[in-house]
Formats: sequence, structure tokens, C-alpha cells
Amino acid sequence: MSKKVAKGEYIETDTGNKVSRRSQIIGTTNIILGGKTVIQAEVIIRGDLLRTLSSSTGDKSSGNPVAVAIGRYCFFSRGCELRPPGKLYRGSFSHYPLKIADHVFVGPSSIIEAALIGSHVSIGSNCVIGKFAIIKDYVRILDGTVVPPNMVIPSFSVVGGRPGRVVGEVAEGEVDGFDLREVYRGVGNS
Amino acid sequence: MSFTPYTYFQCPCTESNLPTRRLGENASTEEEESDQDDRTFDPRAPRANYSLYPLEYLLYCEDCHQIRCPRCVLDEIVTWYCPNCLFEVPSSTVKSEGNRCTRSCFQCPICIAPLSVSSTEAPPEGLGAEHATQNGPYVLNCAYCAWSSKEIGIQFDKPNGIFAQLSKIQNGGKPIVTPRERRKDREERTRDTSGSTMNEDGVVEDLPGIMNLDPHELLDAESQFSNLKAFYQSQLADSSPASALGFTGEYGYGSPGALSRIMGLYTGGSFAEKKAKSKKGAMREAQDALEGLQITSPASEEKAVNRLLSEGWESTASAVQKKEQSYNTHFVSDLRPIAHLLRTKRSKRCRTCRHILSKPESKVQTTRFRIRLVALNYIPSISIKPLQPATLGRETFLTPMKPTQFLLTFKNPLFDNVKVNIATPASTPGRFSSKVTILCPQFEVGANTDAWEEALREGGGKGTEREKKRTKAEASEGQNQAEAGKIWERGRNWVSVVVEVLPASLKIEGPEFMRSEELKKDDGPLREDEDVVEIPVFVRVEWEADVAHDDTAGLTATSRDKEAKEKRELAYWCVLGVGKIIQD
Repeated sequence: MSKKVAKGEYIETDTGNKVSRRSQIIGTTNIILGGKTVIQAEVIIRGDLLRTLSSSTGDKSSGNPVAVAIGRYCFFSRGCELRPPGKLYRGSFSHYPLKIADHVFVGPSSIIEAALIGSHVSIGSNCVIGKFAIIKDYVRILDGTVVPPNMVIPSFSVVGGRPGRVVGEVAEGEVDGFDLREVYRGVGNS
Repeated sequence: MSFTPYTYFQCPCTESNLPTRRLGENASTEEEESDQDDRTFDPRAPRANYSLYPLEYLLYCEDCHQIRCPRCVLDEIVTWYCPNCLFEVPSSTVKSEGNRCTRSCFQCPICIAPLSVSSTEAPPEGLGAEHATQNGPYVLNCAYCAWSSKEIGIQFDKPNGIFAQLSKIQNGGKPIVTPRERRKDREERTRDTSGSTMNEDGVVEDLPGIMNLDPHELLDAESQFSNLKAFYQSQLADSSPASALGFTGEYGYGSPGALSRIMGLYTGGSFAEKKAKSKKGAMREAQDALEGLQITSPASEEKAVNRLLSEGWESTASAVQKKEQSYNTHFVSDLRPIAHLLRTKRSKRCRTCRHILSKPESKVQTTRFRIRLVALNYIPSISIKPLQPATLGRETFLTPMKPTQFLLTFKNPLFDNVKVNIATPASTPGRFSSKVTILCPQFEVGANTDAWEEALREGGGKGTEREKKRTKAEASEGQNQAEAGKIWERGRNWVSVVVEVLPASLKIEGPEFMRSEELKKDDGPLREDEDVVEIPVFVRVEWEADVAHDDTAGLTATSRDKEAKEKRELAYWCVLGVGKIIQD
């Protein structure tokens, strides 16, 4: 019984991640995908920008150092870029891990350099999230927003503009709309 | 510009107000015609904008069985917190310190981006660099526009508690005497003069703590205000008559006159009255800067003008920047970092029955809700899409005079079946009225049960009955026929029906018979959003709900009989924005 494996757009892993063949993922050993995450074509994930602290901190890293950690049911649209942020700290420049929680939707051509993104966040298209920004849960970022570096966006905010400012609040009824399970099911492997 | 179809719901709270008459018009016949008692809803009326909301914004009150919109709910504050440091601020601190963050959270005065604290020392190099702590003078930096507090000449000694340090330094580095210090100084002075301390030599000496304030000092707005206020309060207290009638307007405990009046209330009026017939003391105005007097000199205006002439346009602050500042500033170098305004978590309450509709957790980090009664869980949601999958580029544009069909999908969130009746006026209100026909105005939508629950229920002997029902239903429905009286498709808890729209032509000039009544009266050019087809739809939802009798259910054996089904109905207007008409 021979199975004909069709060459689809996405590579599907055991944990349900759908990664496009045309995406550029560098440093795959330093990237953690939670499961049921969709990565579309032309997405760049920089897993090579690692923390370069000296080994004086101790040998507590059992496995590979993590550069990018992504949660479940995330969706990265075409052309977006995930970059761990870096800064000059006490004389040396090093990168810090980029942590993304569950149900995060990133629109096309957006650049993410945040430090932490909470769950149920929807980022629009052509956005720039500055270095070390912290985005909490249930946040909607409108299209074309530039979030300045070091900004903290509290939960249930709607952020827009350049520089990004909180322009509104997410209504109680919109909370269920951030769920990306249906979106994941809608991704076919043609 | 693409157009996404939308559905807005009207909250019934607006119906108790005046009718939505458009100004400057006699009652048109449209308003009289209706199947229901209410007038037809006109989405283009100026008032309509304030009553329409997307379904996500609406809450539902279970006691009143009514929709509640953001305008008809009462807000109560649960917690105050800083949006930058996410630190909870107790409400007592908010009352005393104000509604801004008093830690180190500031916004750049130029671009309103967040500021970070950094040391001005050179970064350590060489061995052990990462362990070296920096304790040079600290400045505030903006990472977005590269502004630094050095540009206004302010530096800090400690990296924490910037708010307190900032309130003591002016732009340029000179210390400010804060209003609090002035008040303390004033109190010390009055204490000194009332019970003067004399040392052995009989000379009144200055108590330590009293500052030598210049009587001609140039005060900033806050200090001037606090000085003036204290001065006037002391004047009022001295000069108000000690009359028992208390008609000075001073009802507080401030003046001695009021105090004696209040004491006099209980000890008998006549005695106090005779004593209190003193002359009204004269009140004077402030004499120097200590009391809050500021004399404007013509030279101060000249200074500003000269500065403007020398430094030019770029040195002035823009209107947006000035708005955020608490003081009147003209120049960019006068701008100060802005403390973040505190944000709140609010709970919402129904206006009529005071039932809580939405209550978040009081902890800032938790995003859950204790109570969350949203309309999405009670009324069927409506979504629109064109029946024929449109070609790219021409998606949401409607051609005039070409009948287009749309699919309305009603999704039922309740656990009971609902009967839905929809109605719409034959032509949409407005200058360019499109004709609308609903093919199936009455239908039933299934309950929002899981697939498991349905399977379990079917196994209970009712299987054959349900199957018969299903096959009969399948014969006529679900066949995707766009015929009157038949639905398009049915799912477990959703139904889709077809609506046919004949878009109007957007021609303002044209043969008389083609133009509507309103167009004849008002033939100005096409206004904004007039080419959007908005269909007002009246939706009536009926269902049978179990009357909640949880406490008695377990006690009696005949609990099944007590399962009285209460018939409930809900009716509201909604507006469907289906598409834009192309100009021909």
C-alpha cells in the first residue's frame, strides 16, 4: 500500500503546527512552537539572535537556549517578521528571548521585536512593535501602528497610531472573537 | 476602498425618547407605515448614530430581559492602576494624590512615547562589566524620538521615585518650592506669630523650617493658586460676621463665626444673637507673592517675543504637546515629562434594575470576568455575505438596478430553539432607496447544543420522530433554493436566508419618475456614505425558556410537571450594511 504524499503548501508536524515551505525560519533549534500554530509563506523567524551572556551565570541551561517561544493556535500571516530584541546592557550587547503566548494573530508584513506578547492578541498588518514592548492579554493593535520601544500595553486595549497610543478599549463581547481555533481549522493544505 | 458588510443593533433604550424625526421636514409617510406599533427605523437619522452598536458592544440584563448598550449602563470603578507599571493604586491614594502615576512612569512631552530611566555614566568596560552597578546622575530617555531630560536640564539622583524628584526641579535645574512646602512654611509662620516664642533676650527668632521667601517672587501657577487660596480662606475666616444666622455663606467649620453659630444652635439663640452684632470686617486683597499676588510686567511679554524671534518656529510647542502639559507653556524647552494617567477596571450595571452585567476581577493581572452577561450569548448574531461568490476587485460593490442576493446567517446562542421573524420596509429610507425583499421572513433556528448532547438525546426513543421530521424538512429545506418562503440552508444552531436587494441608481439628475420623494426635495450632491446600502430590519425572536426553579426541583416527586415553559420574546431593530453602490 503506497501512500502518495502530496507536496502541499504547509508542512504539518505531529503537534499540529502548519509551517509553510516558503517561510524563512533561521535557528530552528532555538524556536519553540506550542502546537496548532500556522506560519504562512515568507514569514521570517530569527532564531539565531540568541542571548550572548557569558557563562558566569552558571550552567543551568540543560538544552538549547530559547530565542523565540510561541504558544498554541498562533497565526503568522504572510511576510511578517519575528525578531528577538537586543540592547546594550552593562557594556555588552545581547538579545533577549521573544515570548509569545496562545491565540496570537499577526497580520501581514508586521515586524515584531517585543519582549513579551500575551494571549489573545490581534496585531494588524504593516505594524511595527518596538523593542522590549510588553503587550498584555486581549489587545487589538490596529493596522499600520508603530508601537514605540519599551511600551507596556495593558490588557483589553485597542492601540493605534504612530507612536502607538491606547485609543480604545476592547468590549466584553469581543473577548471570544480573539479565539483562533476556527482560523486554524480553516487553513487547508492545498 | 473595500467595504466590509456590517450589522448594527439598536438598543431599545432610545425608543422611550422623542421620535427620530429628521429636522426640517414634515412627517413623511415612511414613518407612519409599519407592521408594528413603532415607526420604521431610519438609520440615516442624525439620532440613529447614537443608538446603533455592533453586537459585541451590547450587554444583556437577565432580570429585565433586555439589551443594554454602553449608553444605558452605569459604570462603577473596580480598580485604578497605572497602564505603564501595572501597579494597582488604592482609591484613597487616587483621591489624595490625583489620577496620575506617582512612581516613575512618564511620557515624552514631544511624542508621548514612554520614557525610560538611564544613567549618564559611561558604560562599564573590561572585566566584571556586567556586575558593575551604575549610580551616576539619572536622566529620562525617549526611545522613539531620542529626547532626553538633559534637553530641559533635569537630572535625578535616584532611579526610583522620579515623580517626587521631578516635582522639585524646574526646567533648567533650579529647585522648585512645592506648594506643600509652602503650606508647611505658612503654618509655621502663623504658629510663630500667634504664640511667639521669645528666648531669654526677648527677641523673636526665626524658627528653623521657615523659608525666606521672596515677597516679589515669580510664582508658577500651582504655587500662586495655593498661596491665593490660603490667603482668601484666612481673610474669610477673619472677616465674616459671627452671626448666629450664618448668612455669610460659610457653613463649614472654618470661620469662628460659623463655629459659634453651630454652638449657639443648642445653647439657645437669643443670648448668642445679642453678642454677635459685630461689624463686618473689611477684606483686603493680596499684597505680595507670599499671599499670591503676581504683578505682570510688560517686560515678561517682551521676553517671550524676543525668544520667539531668536529661536524661531521650531522652538514653540505644538497644540497637541501643549494640551498634555499642566502649565501654560509656549516653548519646547518649557515642556516637562508627563506622568501617565491612571486607568480603571469598571463594572457595568443595568440602569433600571441595578443588576450587575459585567464585573472584571479586581486584580490587574487577571483577565477573567466574575460576571459577564454579553448580548452575544442571548440574541442571534447576524452575518452577511453575498450569495454568489464575487469576483476579485468587484467584491462589495453593487451595480444599480441589478438585483443582488445576500445570505443572512442567524446563529442562535441559546439552549432552546428560537423562532425568528424578520421584517423590513420595502424600500430603504434615504434619498436613494433600494428595494429590499426578504425571501423567508419566518423561520426557526435550532438550539446551541453540542453534537454529543444531540446524539444522547436521540438515543432516548425519540429517534424515529426526529428522523421523520428531518427527512421531511430536508425535502424542502437545505436544497439551496432561492425561493420565497424557503430558507437557504440550515445547520445545528444556525439558519441562513436569502435577501434580495435592488440597489438604487445614484443619479441625481434624471427622469422624474425615477426619483424618490426625498430626492425631489433635496437634490444636492452625493453626501458621504449615501451610497452605502443600509437595510433596517426588525427582528423578533421568540423562545420558550425553563423558568428557573432550582431550589424546588429536588424536593417534589412531580418535578416534571413543574417544568413550566415560559414564553419569552425579544424584538429590536438592526441595520445591515450590505455594500456600496457604484456610481454610474
